[in-house]
Amino acid sequence: MLTVASYSRAQLGARLAERGIHLQTGAFVTCVKSEVASVADGISLLYADYPVLEQAEFADFHISLHQAGGVRRWFRPQVRLDCDGISPFQPLPVAQAFPMFEWTLNWCVSSNAHRYLCIHAAVVEKNGYAVILPAPPGSGKSTLCAALVSKGWRLLSDELTLVRLGSGELVPLVRPISLKNASIDIIRRYAPSSVFSPVVDDTSKGSIAHLKAPADSVARAGQCARPAWVIFPKYAAGASAQLEPIAPARAFMRLAKNAFNYSLLGSAGFAALGDVIDASLSYEFTYSALDDAIDIFSRLTPPGQ
Amino acid sequence: MWRLIHGQTLQQRRWGDETVLYNDLSGDTHLLGETAICLLHALQVSAHDEAALVALVCARLQVGADDTAAHETALLLASLSELSLIERCAC
Amino acid sequence: MSALPLLVQAFRQPQRLAGFTLVEWDLVLRQAAVANLTAGLCHLAEEAGLLGRIAPQAREHLTWARTVGERHRQAVRFEVGEIRRALAGLDVPLILLKGAAYTLASLPPAPGRLFSDIDILVPRERLAEVEAALMLHGWAASGHDAYDQRYYREWMHELPPMQHVKRQSMIDVHHAILPETAAARPDPALLRASAVAMAGQGDLRVLAPVDMVLHSAVHLFYDGEFDHGLRDLVDIHRLLGEFGKMPGFWDALPVRARALQLERPLFYALRYADMLLGTGSAANMDSAAGAAQLDRPNRPQLVLMDFLFRRALLPSHASCADAYTGIAHFLLYIRGNWLRMPFFLLARHLFHKAFISPKQAAG
Repeated sequence: MLTVASYSRAQLGARLAERGIHLQTGAFVTCVKSEVASVADGISLLYADYPVLEQAEFADFHISLHQAGGVRRWFRPQVRLDCDGISPFQPLPVAQAFPMFEWTLNWCVSSNAHRYLCIHAAVVEKNGYAVILPAPPGSGKSTLCAALVSKGWRLLSDELTLVRLGSGELVPLVRPISLKNASIDIIRRYAPSSVFSPVVDDTSKGSIAHLKAPADSVARAGQCARPAWVIFPKYAAGASAQLEPIAPARAFMRLAKNAFNYSLLGSAGFAALGDVIDASLSYEFTYSALDDAIDIFSRLTPPGQ
Repeated sequence: MWRLIHGQTLQQRRWGDETVLYNDLSGDTHLLGETAICLLHALQVSAHDEAALVALVCARLQVGADDTAAHETALLLASLSELSLIERCAC
Repeated sequence: MSALPLLVQAFRQPQRLAGFTLVEWDLVLRQAAVANLTAGLCHLAEEAGLLGRIAPQAREHLTWARTVGERHRQAVRFEVGEIRRALAGLDVPLILLKGAAYTLASLPPAPGRLFSDIDILVPRERLAEVEAALMLHGWAASGHDAYDQRYYREWMHELPPMQHVKRQSMIDVHHAILPETAAARPDPALLRASAVAMAGQGDLRVLAPVDMVLHSAVHLFYDGEFDHGLRDLVDIHRLLGEFGKMPGFWDALPVRARALQLERPLFYALRYADMLLGTGSAANMDSAAGAAQLDRPNRPQLVLMDFLFRRALLPSHASCADAYTGIAHFLLYIRGNWLRMPFFLLARHLFHKAFISPKQAAG
């Protein structure tokens, strides 16, 4: 099977600049085109293990990131995004091209893939049981996710939990984990063998870097999982790790608020979310030390046991 | 008189004494307590006047029918109306 | 402009969908996305019984879009119900227009149609009451400056769009189907007098079939922007396909167009629906006889209009554009505004939009 690693950096750059590559991430194929060097760098480094479809005739999404022309080519250069003929985001400084690529891949799925209930949450799995970690930005979800993944939890997604309507399976969308500001150094120290993209400063979310997903998780991107726990993480400096049960109906409403397309899906979304809550134990989780968090998670008891 | 708004189908999931309710007409989802659900179930069967609904609430909460009960019921009915679940009618 | 884009070919001949290759699906889905017609394409495939024969990767995208279409339909039904409740005490004859009408009347353009506003038609003398009743029930004038307020109230044919504060839904309250300032003055009283009820919808009304077609035609061919051009043309195509079966429809249509001063938009509607979507044969339209009775543009004008509309009515996707598509859109933008107001007002309007409104927005 052809992967991104099959191309040299030079070959990859040339392909991306001309006809693009068809990159497979989980259930989706994206045609990516860009002549911007940092995009090729990021894909080469972080997507090395991902399949590339050589003779692809069809892509779910078509993304192109091009350097803006005219004055903007030289003065505060910008990168423009085109996504299936639509420009969902304003142009950004060209230094932010790779984060823009990541945000766009998320946007494509959460705005379109209405076969799934799409929750803004990380999801990791061990021994056949999955934890869903919803959280608004800045609550430490990605840091916790990165730590768990470094300790053997399989990564399904850092950003988008996809619940297939009807079957209720959690469908992986394995992609790089995005870390911000202080979290970047925290995870560098916690998991020294992690592979990071260069840090990009001054984005709307602060400083951002992307962490490569484990090869094992990428290889198992076709393996669905079943939800067992819904855990709302909250980082609080100095706090000892604590799991507090949440009433299921409250967990339902909070999860609905964190789902991009809950309202759009109507009764199918209601049923899917109800099934997730039925199948899971729901908690509020406060913590400060990552080791404590890893320990607590390793001792989680699946529902019904 | 109060009645359920015409044309809606309500789906619910219940955990303990809390229920989440989906209204397929408005597309909205609500978190409701026992008393509210009790009122909705009564109105699903037929329209009722406010006095009958107050009596229902009192029976449910095992309290006497007094001004507080009437006031609380009125507030609850107003909230349910705000949520486009029920409406007044002249039936 | 030689071959029609794949998306247009699909609406022209739905059977072609079964034969599209994956490469063709890759392109047609992108055309549909910019034209806001993916849900409509799904419906087209379902109606023709072809959904099961389409490549699974493409069918997946159509299914996603169908979900969106169904949500829109649900939302429109609910909004119309809320509007009825808001206006219940007024005893105002309430007529639905465009998308809301198609949905509530279960007409062919409805399935898969996406839209943002509800449009209603009320008598001009009841406008103030209607506005007040809507405001009482949570709709508010949506952030327009004093100039915009005047633009709508004095010159246009509608109140400024109102937005519901909680649900964010939009409603456009019209008292006519064209502005006061336009060259043509279709009499709204005639439209209201012929409005028809729908089974099971109480006192809600929609325009009579001929009027619905004419409204759709004037809405498209009097406009300056064509993001929804193909979608609106598909609406006309489907309405004609449905109503064309009614006895006497084709005779009544040009007569009514004359009475409402809408012959020219009807001419364009019939011409371009047939040219792009093959409506003539599909709707059993005797286009020659029908069109011949209408006021048609002179030869040079027609050549120009063909040049412009054959580009502007296509999806706004790179695969459907040529070197002249940009200028075609620009010229039609000017034309659309020209048709709606006399020159001196237009100049003032464009000046205000360009220089004063953005400053007010920033300041």
